[in-house]
Amino acid sequence: MVSPDFKQNYFELFELPQQFEVDLTALGQRYRQLQQELHPDRFAGRTDHEQRVAVQYSALVNEAHDTLRRPLNRALYLLQLQGMSAEEVAAQQVDGGFLIEQMELREKLESIDDLVDPELVLEHLMDEVEEDIAAHQREFVHAFEKDDVPAAASACVKMQYLDKLLVEAEQLEASLMD
Amino acid sequence: MALLQIAEPGQSPRPHQVKRAVGIDLGTTNSLVATVRGGRAAALPDTHGAVMLSSVVNYSEPGHPAVGEQARAMAGQSPGDTLVSVKRFMGRGRHDAAGDAERARYQLADDEQGMVRFVTSSGDITPVEASAEILSALRVRAEQTLSGLLDGAVITVPAYFDEAQRQATKDAAALAGLSVLRLLNEPTAAAAAYGLDSAEEGVIAVYDLGGGTFDISILRLHRGVFEVLATGGDSALGGDDFDHEIARWALEQAGSPMLEAGQHRQLQQIARAAKEALSGQNEVTVPLSDLAGDLPVLTLTRPVFEALVQPLVKRTLRACKRCLRDAGLGAEQVENIVMVGGSTRVPLVRAAVSELFTREPLVDIDPDQVVAIGAAIQADILVGNRPEGDLLLLDVIPLSLGIETMGGLVEKIIPRNTTIPVARAQEFTTFKDGQLALAVHVVQGERELVDDCRSLARFELRGIPPMVAGAARVVVTYQVDADGLLNVSAREETNGVESQITVKPSFGLSEDEISGMIRDSFSYAEADKAARQLAEYRLDARQLIDGLAAALEADGDALLTPAERAALSQKMIDLDDLMHETNGQALKEATERLGRASEEFAARRMDQSIQQALSGISIDQLGQETQE
Repeated sequence: MVSPDFKQNYFELFELPQQFEVDLTALGQRYRQLQQELHPDRFAGRTDHEQRVAVQYSALVNEAHDTLRRPLNRALYLLQLQGMSAEEVAAQQVDGGFLIEQMELREKLESIDDLVDPELVLEHLMDEVEEDIAAHQREFVHAFEKDDVPAAASACVKMQYLDKLLVEAEQLEASLMD
Repeated sequence: MALLQIAEPGQSPRPHQVKRAVGIDLGTTNSLVATVRGGRAAALPDTHGAVMLSSVVNYSEPGHPAVGEQARAMAGQSPGDTLVSVKRFMGRGRHDAAGDAERARYQLADDEQGMVRFVTSSGDITPVEASAEILSALRVRAEQTLSGLLDGAVITVPAYFDEAQRQATKDAAALAGLSVLRLLNEPTAAAAAYGLDSAEEGVIAVYDLGGGTFDISILRLHRGVFEVLATGGDSALGGDDFDHEIARWALEQAGSPMLEAGQHRQLQQIARAAKEALSGQNEVTVPLSDLAGDLPVLTLTRPVFEALVQPLVKRTLRACKRCLRDAGLGAEQVENIVMVGGSTRVPLVRAAVSELFTREPLVDIDPDQVVAIGAAIQADILVGNRPEGDLLLLDVIPLSLGIETMGGLVEKIIPRNTTIPVARAQEFTTFKDGQLALAVHVVQGERELVDDCRSLARFELRGIPPMVAGAARVVVTYQVDADGLLNVSAREETNGVESQITVKPSFGLSEDEISGMIRDSFSYAEADKAARQLAEYRLDARQLIDGLAAALEADGDALLTPAERAALSQKMIDLDDLMHETNGQALKEATERLGRASEEFAARRMDQSIQQALSGISIDQLGQETQE
């Protein structure tokens, strides 16, 4: 039995052009179609061996879907297809101005509890972060189209920073709600 | 068309041969079994016409445990032997099981290690064994109603159940002699119960307030595919807590009299009756006088009751909001809300849910039965009774899975709400020169510190060649199957040493314990067991032969040489000859031989269907087929 090894990359698997902009509706349709065919439930009653293989295929489709669905994962994957590993991306230099902004955003987030209306401030902060992320996504697309991989990677690192911040902000929002 | 056939042969070899499959809702307070007959899913009643089986087991008479109402009736005279709400103890250790009040009701065995055990007149009993008695009773009910052995069962668990609790449920099913097709999350099952009839598209929320747990799930239904977008809840909050609140209020009103264990049970029942009556009335009596002559008859009004349970309802709404955020949706985007669990009949609960989602929840299907009905539908599909396989459930893991790293921190490998099945690998390295082994500690939970998460398993990868620190490359892979059960492996890349573990939770039972329990199980006699075993082997053999015959017919010519085909056919005939054999072992071995012989053929078919799926049909075609 061959082990799961799609020769196609995730974009090919989902029949999508290899670029940052993704048609999420088409992605979802193809995802459901693939799972309809490959999910282990479709192989219930078959041998253990087939079941195991189905689990592996189905897991791979889930992984591909998860990668293409999230902008940051998608950007990292595009860079990976250009031969740049996640570690290499992480090692990219970011300009000092960006880092200072990050520190300021972080300080704001940490002191939010002391404010009169923390939820409102947090909402504004999250909006701001989301706008920044969108800006860096445009930066990524621009650089990537011009085959400027280092610049694309640098935009990607910034997206990573902001993404992490957003996750922390969401956690804070959850704790404020409780 | 060919594509759909490819996915199906072997599942329904002959049209008239409908398989017996059931869905079982193993609940904290009540359990039930349902099946699909003549295209309709319905819960199966017992001989007295009752659909619900009280999840109560009484162990006062060694060798003859009583289950259900009969056991509940014995609670008064032998409270310590009467196990209720065992679901809250599943997969738990002595100190982290259920709530303090519930633990206090029982005498627990002194073991500090392993799963909690209740001390009863029939010896020490684990929650797994007690659950197995409940499952056995339902299995017998189904086998009598359907006149024959079951081909398989889908058993539901709260979405919030962790690894240990899921494994314990699977163990209980094995002990009860059930072949588990799938553990299914309760909310997903409930959505499936509604989804099939309505053929709707859109976002669904399932609000499931069971006896002992609260679950909220957000799903998207699209052309027969249910995607769970997010799931959340509270595994220590349920409808029983509403009863506890009433009981606490009543005792306070009566001047906090001391009660015995039996009276406590009775009080819970009085409280439950009051809660249920308050769904239709504005005022009920709470007759504490039934417990002791000198206690008063109280009056409980709906406003007082609502004030008592308001904090509990609020907790459920907070979990709903968190879940919506995880799904990336606003409450207004949810088009349908499915209500599950008897306590969703409480008007305050319905009102609170309507307010949050700004629409009325669905209550067409009995909220006590909807989970079992959905499970029955899924069982019907998995066992192969529906050639179209028209429903697919894509579930998620409820809690993040991580690994312990330096300093007692957790590195998440698979975050919660990731769709399963899933496999993720992460690379680690040694931190000391010449380090020969690497300890892998698997944990589950959302917190950053290992101590705040649940420990699932520990194992060691040995045989790493001596290298300088940081030079070894150890890849740890987490794989979660469609039941939500985890398998972890570690491999050192430079020399290929490997170590693997199917996660047996810290508070689980070992394989030996399980097989020991099956051996010792006093629920059925030796001869009975041998007969059952033989019947199971025959079933396995028949399934294999039927499946293979259908597969050969479909693809035998295309994928096998004439010689290969003849060899396989001969082995099928050999096995068929053994069908009337009473030597179970011989039958089992022949089945295994045929299974191995057909692996290569199965592999070729699998490749073919993968190829077709990948190159395959266009979305338009798929749409047409689904609509048919």
